[in-house]
Order: sequence, then structure tokens, then C-alpha cells
Amino acid sequence: MNTPEQPINEKIFKYSITLLIIIASLWSASGLEITPERFFSAPGKIWNLISAMFPLDLSQEAIGRIAPKVAESLFIAWAGTVIGAIFSFPVSFLAANNVSKNALSRITKQILNIIRAFPELILAFVFLPITGLGPLTGTLAVGIHSIGTLGKLSSEVIEGIDEGPLESIKSSGGSKINELLFGVVPQVMPTITSYWLYRFEINLRASAVLGVVGAGGVGAELINQLRFRDFPRAGTVLVVTILMVLIVDTISAAIRRRIIKGREIKV
Amino acid sequence: MMTSKLPKKPPPSKLAMFGYPFALLFSFYSFFQIGFNLEDFKRNLANRKIVTDPLFDPSWQWAVENASEALLETVQIAILASILGCFIALPLSFYASRATNQTTLTYYLYKSFLNFIRTIPDLFWAMLFTVAVGLGPFAGVLALVMFSMAIMGKLLSETIDSIDLGPMEAAKASGARHTQAVFNSALPQILPNFTAYFLYIFELCIRASVILGLVGAGGVGRIIETQRIFLRFDRITPIIILILGAVIGIEQFSVWLRRKIL
Repeated sequence: MNTPEQPINEKIFKYSITLLIIIASLWSASGLEITPERFFSAPGKIWNLISAMFPLDLSQEAIGRIAPKVAESLFIAWAGTVIGAIFSFPVSFLAANNVSKNALSRITKQILNIIRAFPELILAFVFLPITGLGPLTGTLAVGIHSIGTLGKLSSEVIEGIDEGPLESIKSSGGSKINELLFGVVPQVMPTITSYWLYRFEINLRASAVLGVVGAGGVGAELINQLRFRDFPRAGTVLVVTILMVLIVDTISAAIRRRIIKGREIKV
Repeated sequence: MMTSKLPKKPPPSKLAMFGYPFALLFSFYSFFQIGFNLEDFKRNLANRKIVTDPLFDPSWQWAVENASEALLETVQIAILASILGCFIALPLSFYASRATNQTTLTYYLYKSFLNFIRTIPDLFWAMLFTVAVGLGPFAGVLALVMFSMAIMGKLLSETIDSIDLGPMEAAKASGARHTQAVFNSALPQILPNFTAYFLYIFELCIRASVILGLVGAGGVGRIIETQRIFLRFDRITPIIILILGAVIGIEQFSVWLRRKIL
């Protein structure tokens, strides 16, 4: 049976992509001195570590130490998200090119890009000498990074709105402020609120690791227990963190779905 | 004369009635818990010179001499980890999708496995692997393999959920086994998405690999960590600028490649 021949160009393209991927991984692996044997021995080693964690250390003292740290991560994530939401909301109007001036929108977007480029951890240790060891540093780091990401997402939402309501407000004599308040905000609020919640989920993971540099949260606890080879307690830290993340994710995802779907109004 | 009557406004929804006050209270409680205190903040602000003065007086030569090798290591970690993670996730996501996995039990197993991996933050993986396989870039690679595997698994399995089932049915009607149908009908549909996600995850890995060194998992973070302890912000600034340059450059390349491929 004859099958039509594929165009040669596409074939060469596919092969060259495959070759590129293989060369890139070989180059990286040789640079990092990683051999296949090391790779295949890794699952066994991580399994040893995990089995060393069980049974978990569930003593009163361990829980009493770990639970406040986990809660602190939660507070850092929430407060950071609030900072991000409060500041990114007005900024996103400046950054959206359909409600702002063209030049202003471009400048604001660039500033947001620059903010976004710094990982939370790097922000955290730049703030550390200023605000001291503790959750405040973590909150500022999470908050500032969130301004960048939320600002970008929110401005994209504003750019996607239906312009009709704005025109009708303008034609009935509304000012620019009226347009924003009654034309833009009601349209974008559900999506932006759900982005805030989504960001909270991401920030929760970020705030969990901030403890590594001493910026508060559960990360410090994990790295200390691992350093002292107290694996059962490290296991407890991991399990409690995972549980919290799972619970928060589930609740937040349910609320986001409800916000996007809207409420059913009986007529 | 008839007075115009406005329709009655619907009462606020349950979510709004409880959600807003709760969110507000929780915000105040969080700020209280993290110890936000304007007095302390002002006092600490006087310390800012430790950071800000050297921050604007970077020592470039030192950074280029000492950090470029580690920066290369960072890029290599990201390349290897994103390639491995994404290609491990490719078969897993077919198992974690309703459209291609017919057994409910294994579907839930794979799905919850991927979800479980996703709940552990990338740096936690890095800490665990540095203990399990020793300090160094290998631990970083493994951590990012888990990281990229989890993201690719989630994105891709959701894409597979929404594929067009027609081609698979056609393949089965002409006598293909389930595996054959998946290979020849489902896989080609999601390959463009796979490529796009791969490039996106590669960018995420580049960003994530920068900080791996803070816990001893290799890359440029190692250099930052040692200088950070000695508060040598004059050395950290140029390193961060170098990293930003590299990250932005690689992102531009990846955006270009995405446009070229798709």
C-alpha cells in the first residue's frame, strides 16, 4: 500500500529538534557529572529517606513546635497576597492599554516585568537586613512579587473587556472615573478575584520555602530537622505542610469555580 | 401617573455575605500575626544602608570571574531537568486522563500521584534530595525533575481530557488496540501543546534553578548564599543582574522558538 510521502522539510525539522534535545541533555549531563547509574540509584535513595521518616514524630512537643510555623506560612501567604492585590489593582488599570494612555501603559508593563523577574527568595534576603529575621520579611517578599504577577494578569483581564458598557456610560454623560467604576470594575472583578485566590495558592508554596533564608514560615523547620538528621520530625513537617496545601488548594479551587460560574438567580 | 419601579436588587449571595467579612478579618489577623509594626519598621529602615549602599556599588569583575561558571551550571540543571521531567510526564499524563485511561482505579492513582508531587514546593524537594543523594547539582536536577514532571502532568492530562475523541474511535473501529489508538490518534493531537508547555516549563525551571543553591543543590544560588551570609551585597548585585540578563535572554529565545515551532 502506498502512503503519500511526507514533505522532506518537516522530516528534517523533526530530526533536528530531536537531535537538539539529545545534544542539550548530554551536554548538561556531562557538565554536571551525572551518569545513568547515579540516576537509577536515586529512587532507592529517596525511598530510604522516606522510610526513615516513618513512623512520624507525632509527640505533643513536635506538633506544638511545627503547627505554629505552618500557620505562620499561611499568614505570610495571605498577607502577601493582600499586599499584592491592593497594590496591583490600581496599577493594572495603568497597565491596561485600553483604559490607560499608550505610553503610560507600556512603562507600567515594563516595571511589572522587572518586579516579576526577581524570585521571592532573592527579594527576601535583600530585605532581610532591613526588616530583620521573621515573617515580616517573607510577607514583603511575597507581596512585592505578587504585585508583579497579579498586575500583569489583571491588566490582561482589563484589556479583554467588552467596550460597550464604557461607551454607554460615556454617552449618558459619565466621567472617566464613572466609566472605570461602573463599566470596567463589574466586568473584571470575578476574574481578578479568582486570580487573587489562585495567587494565594502559589504564595502558600512560596512562603513555605521562605524559611530557608530565615524569612519566617515552615521552611526553616524542615531544613533544621534535615540537618540534624531528625528524620521522623522532618517527616511530620512535610506531612503537615502537604496537608495544609491540599486543604487550602481544595477550598480555594472550589471558591474560584463558584466565582467564575456565578450564582444562579431564581426569577 | 405611573411611577417607574426599579426591579428589586437580589440579596447578596451566601459566598459574599460570609466570604468578604471572613477575608477582611483574616487579613487583619494575618497582619497582626506576622507582627507588622510601623514603629519597628521605621527603626529598621535606618538599617537600609547596609543593603542599599553596596547595592548601587556593584563589583562587576568579581562577579564575572566567580559566578559565570555557576551560572552555566544553573542553565545545565534547568535544561536537563526540564527535558527529563517533561518526557517522564508524557506517558504519565495519558494514564492520568479520563479520555485515554479506561480503568478508574489507575486513573485516580496516577492523578493523585501527580497532585501529591505538586503539593511539595520545589525547594523542599531540593532539601530532600540533598539529604538523599548528597549536596551538589545532581540533587538540584532531581528536584526540578519532580517540579517539571508535576506541572507537565497537570497541564498535559487536562489537555488530553479535552481532546477530540473521534480519531481514537476511528482507529479502534478499524481494528486498533487501545494502546495503538492512543499512540496514533491521541498523541499527535496533543504534541503541539506538549511543545508549548515544555518551553514554558523550561522557563520556570531556569527561574527555579537560580535559588536551588541556597539549600546546597547546585547552581548560581550557591555563590549568592555564601556572599549573603557575609552581607556582601556589592557582590550579590552584579550576580543578580547577570541572572536577570540570562533569564530574560533565555525567555526571549524560548518565545522565539515557540513562535517558530507552533
